[in-house]
Amino acid sequence: MAIRGDTADEEKSYLRDMLAGDAGYVLEVGCGDGRLTRKYADAAARVLAIDLPATLPRSDADPLPDCVSLAAASGCHLPFPSQRFDQVIFALSL
Amino acid sequence: MVHALSEARRALRAGGCLIDLRPTTRNRTVELELESATLFIGEIDSSSAIPDHVSANDALDAAQAAGEFCLEHTALFQYVSDLDTVEDLRVFQAGLRRSVMPETIFKRIEALTADETTSWLIRIRREMQVARYRRR
Repeated sequence: MAIRGDTADEEKSYLRDMLAGDAGYVLEVGCGDGRLTRKYADAAARVLAIDLPATLPRSDADPLPDCVSLAAASGCHLPFPSQRFDQVIFALSL
Repeated sequence: MVHALSEARRALRAGGCLIDLRPTTRNRTVELELESATLFIGEIDSSSAIPDHVSANDALDAAQAAGEFCLEHTALFQYVSDLDTVEDLRVFQAGLRRSVMPETIFKRIEALTADETTSWLIRIRREMQVARYRRR
């Protein structure tokens, strides 16, 4: 028994195309369990992945790459300085 | 949506990019993949998400009209999920937040797979859109 998502790897491929080369410092809004984050994190220098506290991934289960940091925050009120990120990804969250 | 876009623009450096990844308004389709054929089984109703989709598009259109972002590239693709059993489909159904999977889908699959001598899998397709906007 299993559910296998993105079996054709299209999501990964299209997302990485959109990031186009060195993604720099990425803010991902609505990271959920980090499913999408894992697909592009190696193309970024750093990733800050945010979501509401209840949906953030647990650090002890299937850890994210070292370049990824997690924070509890809403996309409507980003607690970060201006002009901090090279890319912002809305992951099924806009 | 408007607040989120405004915050994203503030957080982005000049010339940075906003990437919007989300499903389109089309329903997911459920297929049964047999050794000899692929059968269309039904659709998962996602119509309740259409208002949010329209609001997001409106906010992006307004941001472009205001000169805040410029659309650089957009694409559609299929997010394909494969499931091995009807029980898996039940698990998938339980994870749906705003979409409705009709019971007829389960009944059709159970009827078509009653003969367990053939191999099969359930395939769910969801149309996705991804777009890149440059911050101005």
